[in-house]
Amino acid sequence: MASVNFLICIICIGLYVGPSYGAEIEYFQNVLDRGYLKIGIPPYETPPYYYFDNKSNQMEGIDIDIVRNFANELGVKAVFDRDSKTYNGLLKRTGADEFDISIGKLSTFYKRMEDAHPHEYMKFRHALLANRKVISKLQGQTPNEKFAPILLDSRLKIGFIEDSSYGQFAKELFPNATKLGLKDWPSCKKALLEKKVDAIYRDATEVKKIVYEEPNLSLDFVPILFDDKIDHISMYVSSKVNPDISSMLEFFITKEIGVKTDKQIMEEYTEFFQPSKPAVS
Amino acid sequence: MNIKSEMVNTKKPLMNFDIKYNTVRKALKKLRSLRSFLLYILPASLILGFIFPQASGSLNSFGGSLIQLISFPAIPLVLAAVVLSTHSILTISKSKKSQFNFPRRLVITIFTLVLFVSMFALLLALYQKPGVLTPEGKLSIGRYMLDVADINLSLFSIDKGIIDSFQWFRDILPSNIIGDASDAETLKVITGSCLLGWGLSLLSTEKAQPLLLLVRSIYEVSLKVLDELLLIAPLVVICLIAGSFATISSEMIVALLNLTICMLLGSVAALGLSRLIFKRFTTSSERKKLTDNPADSVFLLGLSTGSSLACYPTIIRSMDGMGRDTNQSEVAASLSLLVSSMGNIIYNIIAITFALNLFQVTLTPYKLLEVLVLGIVTGISAAGLTGVSMVPTIAIALTALALPVPPVLVLLLAVDPILTLPRAATTAVLSMAICTICSEPKEARDLQMNLDNPNS
Repeated sequence: MASVNFLICIICIGLYVGPSYGAEIEYFQNVLDRGYLKIGIPPYETPPYYYFDNKSNQMEGIDIDIVRNFANELGVKAVFDRDSKTYNGLLKRTGADEFDISIGKLSTFYKRMEDAHPHEYMKFRHALLANRKVISKLQGQTPNEKFAPILLDSRLKIGFIEDSSYGQFAKELFPNATKLGLKDWPSCKKALLEKKVDAIYRDATEVKKIVYEEPNLSLDFVPILFDDKIDHISMYVSSKVNPDISSMLEFFITKEIGVKTDKQIMEEYTEFFQPSKPAVS
Repeated sequence: MNIKSEMVNTKKPLMNFDIKYNTVRKALKKLRSLRSFLLYILPASLILGFIFPQASGSLNSFGGSLIQLISFPAIPLVLAAVVLSTHSILTISKSKKSQFNFPRRLVITIFTLVLFVSMFALLLALYQKPGVLTPEGKLSIGRYMLDVADINLSLFSIDKGIIDSFQWFRDILPSNIIGDASDAETLKVITGSCLLGWGLSLLSTEKAQPLLLLVRSIYEVSLKVLDELLLIAPLVVICLIAGSFATISSEMIVALLNLTICMLLGSVAALGLSRLIFKRFTTSSERKKLTDNPADSVFLLGLSTGSSLACYPTIIRSMDGMGRDTNQSEVAASLSLLVSSMGNIIYNIIAITFALNLFQVTLTPYKLLEVLVLGIVTGISAAGLTGVSMVPTIAIALTALALPVPPVLVLLLAVDPILTLPRAATTAVLSMAICTICSEPKEARDLQMNLDNPNS
């Protein structure tokens, strides 16, 4: 009887502990040993993508959920680092292997690719939020199909977040415009409302968010959406990590989350883009 | 005997049908009165729209189909009326030697009335201030405009086609009058018919007569068909009001209440003016020939069908009933309904003021003069366009005033199902006023003809 009890005990312990497999790829073994993925994010609050939620007392947002889910697949936690000073500073640190992954609505362009390797997971149209009267004067009776060259050659005053990808895009796209780098997106909005700039430049989700939140602004300001000028949003990894992580990351993006467009994001996260009680000003 | 009895038997059902048709006809005609509109049609439409909001699509579609049916004789009527009018104007001016002849009187009347109603519309708009919004109104409008008034651009597949600066001119020139008529290109039909009428006036009477007779027959039959089809006007108005009531955003109506009230006041003032003109420019013996003031029935018909052209037969019949010269009435009615549509002019002046207020532009005397001129020009440029299709003509004025076009058009189109009705009624009732001023009593005209040609 004692031997039977001993056997049952051994089986139970075996079932409880289960077989333990080690990772053959050294990088993943290191992550498993460490117990977390180190994620770099920009030093800004950009809801609904990444922001500090005072209720849950932790980082929340679309981008945060994506990397948390990826970490869960690996069986580890995600730990966030917000200490970088700018977007480009974050990319430099990623390239220097300070993080496993950096994320935070980061655009993809050649200069950044010199620092780290991109993995695209969203694609947003470029957009301007412009003063309607200025645009009307510029457009005259030109139909929309013929308006693009006039707009690109114009001498508009365009605001954007300084040291962001849109500064680079503005330089390439609007050679004759007066370009004004501003501290952050709320500063850009303020400059537009105070008529210090004629238009502000970012992706469609950020531009549309302003008018969705305050619909009364849509009478004086018009979103101009560039249907074929796409901002490819990527996660970045360092050269050292990329050979090991890229296949798993690509599989996760294509099979689990899919590369989402700005329209899909705005439809999926309506609570952020179309709040039920918009402001009256 | 047998043959006779058979004949009687075959005639009986026909007579029965005639009696029934006449009874239905009379009943339907009664529904076209102001009393029936206010007591039965309007409440029935509102109740229908309120109880069955889900049927709004079907009601709008059915109403649209009935309008298509009513519009069926419109193009042949326009073609024939304009040919006959042009021919009449040119031949009347040739035959009459008196200094103050009909064409001159017609032009002066139209010009004066256009100027008067434009000034009135401007003053009304200044008083009513359409486009001055409360914060809540601005919010409702902003919500309505979300996603609708964005500009979508393609940077890499640009349309490199050349902009034709004379496209507008090309658009009014006829290419083939039959083809234009079958394509329902009203503006081209009008210009083509003017040329045809001019050509006919250059021919000798013997040579022009066969074609004139044919055109006159087309005109008569179109007029008759339109008159009969208008019996279904009450049904059209029930469908349209019920459909609009269920679909139009009440929030938008409230936000644009000033604009709606302004246009409604404009049309009521036009009715008052027309009634006044009718009393002032007709003799008591002429008025005795009619049972009531025809301005009311014309106004109501325009209001219930949303088509000023649908009022053409009623105007002509009223003028004829008073013993006015039919030729002159036809010329005056077709010209004022098709070319100088006063409803469009009033509407455009109010809508331009609305846009200026919306974008908080200071209204200087120079700006007001611009509004007046642009309103008249764009209103006349909408000749031949009906219903919602005339709204975009205002874009020229907005561009000239450097105002954004898409948001204004989006807002105007949002309330157009309501505004299209008073616009048509205004055009029709002021056309009636022009006819009353310009057309002469038949006897007076005959007397004048005899004085001009004592040998004839």
